Amino acid sequence: MNLPLFKQMMKIHAKGMSNYAFGSAFYILLMFWLYPGIADNTGALNELLKSMPEGIVNAFNIQGGFGSMEAFISGEYYGLILPLLLSIFSIMLSTGLMARLVDQGSMAYLLSTPTTRRQIATTQAGVLSTGLLLIMVVTTAAGMLGYIWFIGDKYEFNGARYIQMNVVAWMLFIAASGIAFFLSSIMNDEKKALGTSGFIVFGMFALDMLGKISGSVEWLRYASIFSLYRPSDIAAGNGHPLLAAIILLAIGLASFAAGIIAFSKRDLPL
Amino acid sequence: MLVVDGLTKLFQGGKGITDVSFTVEQGEVFGFLGPNGAGKSTTIRHIMGFMKPDRGSAAIKGLNTWEKQGAVQKLVGYLPGEIAFIEGMSGKEFLDFLARMQRVDSSVKREQLINRLQFDVNTPIRKMSKGMKQKVGIVAAFMHSPEFIILDEPTSGLDPLMQQLFIELVLEEKARGTTFLMSSHSFPEIERTCDRAAIIKDGRLVATNNIHELQSMQRKLLVIVFEHVEDAGAFMQNGNVPIESHDGRRVTVAVQGNYNELIHEAAKYKVRSLDITAQNLEDVFMQYYDRSADKGAVS
Repeated sequence: MNLPLFKQMMKIHAKGMSNYAFGSAFYILLMFWLYPGIADNTGALNELLKSMPEGIVNAFNIQGGFGSMEAFISGEYYGLILPLLLSIFSIMLSTGLMARLVDQGSMAYLLSTPTTRRQIATTQAGVLSTGLLLIMVVTTAAGMLGYIWFIGDKYEFNGARYIQMNVVAWMLFIAASGIAFFLSSIMNDEKKALGTSGFIVFGMFALDMLGKISGSVEWLRYASIFSLYRPSDIAAGNGHPLLAAIILLAIGLASFAAGIIAFSKRDLPL
Repeated sequence: MLVVDGLTKLFQGGKGITDVSFTVEQGEVFGFLGPNGAGKSTTIRHIMGFMKPDRGSAAIKGLNTWEKQGAVQKLVGYLPGEIAFIEGMSGKEFLDFLARMQRVDSSVKREQLINRLQFDVNTPIRKMSKGMKQKVGIVAAFMHSPEFIILDEPTSGLDPLMQQLFIELVLEEKARGTTFLMSSHSFPEIERTCDRAAIIKDGRLVATNNIHELQSMQRKLLVIVFEHVEDAGAFMQNGNVPIESHDGRRVTVAVQGNYNELIHEAAKYKVRSLDITAQNLEDVFMQYYDRSADKGAVS
């Protein structure tokens, strides 16, 4: 870790990070604000869900129904919008922190100072993880505020499960950004890094979705880290969120470590 | 200070450097000459530890530049051949940031350098011209007073006045004992600052000489216009000086160290005008590149 580099990178990327964080916070507040109107029609909406094909319901993570606040939010935000938002964030930032600096050549300046490659890569990984943490903390806090402002005691809300959901989502994106970071660390071309990590992260997202839509290709899900992230199960109190979080964290740490080591050992066209 | 020993790196497509060896002594200004694509920057990238050699090594003060990357950089200031700063910063922000990374308080010297190079340090980097970026790069390479400064094509983009100032800066630092490695494709730039120079061509080192030897070996083309056509004829027939070409009263001669002979010979006749034609590096080092080349082929 190199403190001056960390501070400078945080400064450069602060605007981008806060855009994602506030976007996410705004969306989740909107969902909480909408919920009372929906909750009054829970029965009708759950009937509607039952009439839809099971695969579709599963694919969009809305099988939790609308019975409780956390079930609603797990379907309406954590099931689709948040994973998309964080996938984009992870891919963009990991490319911006590694491959872009190599592609443009400014990495030469960082490496001309008394800093090892390992320190630089570790610092950049730290910036990426901090960005993710920031977005998740702001999102979680916005959810809590939304609960206080719009829900109060009027509807069911299990805070512990809501937080579990956020932690698993955070771990999912530690894993996803770890993979994107690894790819960004081994590539010289910014566009290629962006394309490849985009293909892999969104590819895994799509595999998980396909696996959920049709039982016959359920095996597809096991090729995807997204299968470990089941917000609707957590909302219903099922599944193994702790185990999932640990596996995701392990994948993330291993990918970050692989990226840092690969970056330390390869030729850089600077 | 710097020992490059048998450095070899071959890229896909056959380009690269083969068995490059040279030494730069403490306090010396060492020039690294060669045409574009000869392998200057590739060699420098190895010296900076950006690439792992296939064979051989580069070491600064005994520290292997690949294995001890990060430690070597304490001794080094670097100006890349193609400058790329981090986006979204002004010149000042970048230099402040780099100073923190260099972990040396260089504010006084930085201020002096900025004053001498005369540029507005608060300009955002994306709005800077090529020359201005080059100035920021020079400040970045010099400000922390490193023992060894590596400059890849340092004067590209600078106007003649600034090139002159740059040469002064190098000579001042040299007087303080700083060692330099400077690559260039321009002989005059090397000539004015360097003690010794290595010449690289197609990835191989063809010669390492002190600069005076190089100057005497340098082949220059002089165009002499005589007052009388017959003088031109007599001058050519005398044959002490190799004649490149002639056209009436205009005679082009090639000189390589034998300036006195030329002056003696030419002084016998009335000379109307005298011109030294600009020669590119390819011509200047023709004898190295292809010793058996027909001298008449040089134009």
